[in-house]
Amino acid sequence: MIVAIFITISLFSAVSLTIFIGVTARSKNQAAIIEVSARQRTLAERYVKEVLLVRAGEPADPARTASVLARSARALLNGGVAPPMWGDDDATELKPATGSELRAQFAQEGRLVTDLTATGAGVVSGFTSNTLANSAHEHIIGATPLDQLQILGALTSNVSLNATRTLGADSDRNISHLVTLQVVLGIVGLLISLLLAGALIAITRRQTAHFRSLVTASTDLVLVFGAGECRYVSKSVATTLGRPADEMLGQGLIRFVHPDDQALVEAAWQQSESAGEIVFRMSTKFKEWRHLEACVTDLRKDRYVRGVVLNARDITERVQLEEELTHQAFHDSLTGLANRALFRDRLNQSLARSARSSEPLSVLLFDLDGFKLVNDTFGHDAGDEVLRQVGQLFVEVTRPSDTLARLGGDEFAILLEGADSTQAVAVADRLLEKLSEPVKILDRNFALSTSIGLVIHPGGPGEGEVIIRHADVALYAAKDAGRNCHRVFEADMARELRDVLGFEQDLRLGLGRGEFSVHYQPEVDLTTHATVGVEALLRWYSPTRGEVPPAQFIPFAEASSLIHLLGEFVLGEACRQTAEWRRQRILPDPFVMWVNISGKQLSDGGVSKLVQKALLAADLPPSFLGLEVTETAIVNQGVVSERASAELQELHDRGVRIAIDDFGTGFSSIGHLRRFPVDLIKVDRSFVQGVGHNPKDTAITTSLTNLAHALGLRAIAEGIESAEQLVSVQELGCDLAQGYLFARPVSADAMSKVLADDSAHAEPAAVPA
Amino acid sequence: MTERDFHISAPAEVSTGNLSLHVKNQGPDSHEFIIVRVNGKLPLRADGLTVNEEALQSDNVGTLEPGEPGTVRDLRLHLTPGTYQFFCNMAGHYMAGMHGSLVVQ
Repeated sequence: MIVAIFITISLFSAVSLTIFIGVTARSKNQAAIIEVSARQRTLAERYVKEVLLVRAGEPADPARTASVLARSARALLNGGVAPPMWGDDDATELKPATGSELRAQFAQEGRLVTDLTATGAGVVSGFTSNTLANSAHEHIIGATPLDQLQILGALTSNVSLNATRTLGADSDRNISHLVTLQVVLGIVGLLISLLLAGALIAITRRQTAHFRSLVTASTDLVLVFGAGECRYVSKSVATTLGRPADEMLGQGLIRFVHPDDQALVEAAWQQSESAGEIVFRMSTKFKEWRHLEACVTDLRKDRYVRGVVLNARDITERVQLEEELTHQAFHDSLTGLANRALFRDRLNQSLARSARSSEPLSVLLFDLDGFKLVNDTFGHDAGDEVLRQVGQLFVEVTRPSDTLARLGGDEFAILLEGADSTQAVAVADRLLEKLSEPVKILDRNFALSTSIGLVIHPGGPGEGEVIIRHADVALYAAKDAGRNCHRVFEADMARELRDVLGFEQDLRLGLGRGEFSVHYQPEVDLTTHATVGVEALLRWYSPTRGEVPPAQFIPFAEASSLIHLLGEFVLGEACRQTAEWRRQRILPDPFVMWVNISGKQLSDGGVSKLVQKALLAADLPPSFLGLEVTETAIVNQGVVSERASAELQELHDRGVRIAIDDFGTGFSSIGHLRRFPVDLIKVDRSFVQGVGHNPKDTAITTSLTNLAHALGLRAIAEGIESAEQLVSVQELGCDLAQGYLFARPVSADAMSKVLADDSAHAEPAAVPA
Repeated sequence: MTERDFHISAPAEVSTGNLSLHVKNQGPDSHEFIIVRVNGKLPLRADGLTVNEEALQSDNVGTLEPGEPGTVRDLRLHLTPGTYQFFCNMAGHYMAGMHGSLVVQ
């Protein structure tokens, strides 16, 4: 737009100047014509005088004057050089006359000059006739040659004067036109320039308003600093901080910057080079800190800004989110306590300090005794609430400088920096004391306790992993000591633990190497003496330990969750074997393969799926399978596990038989039995062995058998080793029996043979000799 | 009426009463137009080149100042019967032939 204005002004100026130059050049020519034309008058008059002088005998040279007159007349009409008048001026260069009127006048002048000089020549030569050449259409009649000469002189002079006037009038018109044209050009040029300037101003205003809107409406915060103070803050700054812009201009702004960030902000606007990005905090009207991330641009050399510009964004929410995420990454969402990662980090830092200062530190590792029961019985919501509440109780025991963490599940840990054994034991005692009172959750009182393992690090170098492992050993020792107590780690414990870990390792390896097998012990119907089922029994032959009885390795398996793998193995093998016998058509009818399910398997859940998967894999109808569960597995601390009950119920509904193993040893309530899907009760061998000679055992076995019958169940006596015991339990009314008297647990192949023989003879199997 | 160098064309006779003269100058010189009610020779000034207008002041019935070539000028007259003479009195023009007479009846 500025270029357009410049071009317009230049164009109009050029046109005006060109016209002016043209007119000036023309005027210059006209001035020369006027000068020569005016001189013609003088020459005509001089010529007449010179003729008269010659006629009077005086010296004169009219012919010369006549020549100049004639040449000048031609030059005036057709252009050329008008000769100089002697002693007067120089020759004058003329352009051809323009304009019909002027050309007619000069042509007439030429003719009159011809007539004049002809007449003059006649007079000089003594010619007396009055008949003259009248090339100019003059009709002079009755005059003397002298009179004619004077008349022609006057006519010549007159026509020259007229030509001069015509030229003058023409010049006047030209000047008038020039002035008019210049005025018009000036006005038009000015108007166009004004229009363009107006458009330029409008565009500039619009652009300015546009950018102002962008700045003021933008959520970005714009601050401009110059000469050591704040010169401009955008509307968004005032909106974000809830402060009027006036308060922040000048030196005022720095007052609202966080004291820790003031040096950063001042450095940003004072240093000579761009500072890139900075993050600083400013307080709002409500005394809240907003985090601003600003891009600093040095525009002090920009003549339109002359300052340092901060383009800032409010990143408070982002910062808060980051802090929250960081907190979440290092804290337990349920209790708000530190998590395992943070605990490890604090422990490592603390150990690093201890290595330098030799200050002691202690670690307490503890979990809640019986917490699993709460979860299983009242659901996970109740369990979570217990964890929250006890977490708060633990907080009350610790100092702010201690790190209390929930490592997972119901496992907690406390790091006590600078604490020796006395202080650590005191904290452990307070923990136990805190949990001595029942915890009330959902209107129920929960009696909780904890087992605590302590590790006292005396100071100096140490490894966090080792300390935690030692704490775990101490915790194991506390549990082993009967729970609700604490134990300080000692080196002996580690050795014991290594034994435990070694056993577990052998178990794990043995499973992988196929060291486990399933043996089968028949169960006999005491009425028909027929084999009506077998109990699948797990056997482990370790190349290093030899034959290991289940009573030895099952507790380790249960402690390490290997029990799930073993359980799956036994179930899968038993189902597969039964299906094979079934295909071989050597199974008696009825027949049930009884498989033991451990308490841990039941409490951990998933038994129903596992059983169905095994049946499906072996293509075995559910009625061929029975599960033996111990009384204590389904009834724990007087409460039936709802989940276990539901799973067993589901399997029972599908046709799977359920037996209560070791019945009579668990102090269970008869009421629980009624709500439980049970088909068979196995009277524990400890009672059966006393039957016949121990009145109490006999009475108990009688009662249990009667109880089973009263509930519509069948009873089987375990551990029958003698004919006397067999007779006794028969007399007591037991339905089935199992024991060495009939058969020892045998391998699958041996059992196949027994079943095949029984099937061939169709006689009761394993009839006592 | 038409003026040109050096002649004036005009009708010889016109009717009495109001007369509107359209005088056209066909140049190339500028020319006057003067009409006087004089029957006979017009007196000349001492220069011998122009008519003595001052002596004819009482007989003057109309005058047009010098007109540029190409112009037409109007002259309204009320002429009574008689003889009138008209001429251009620029220097030498009368003597060069720019004159004539008009009879009003």
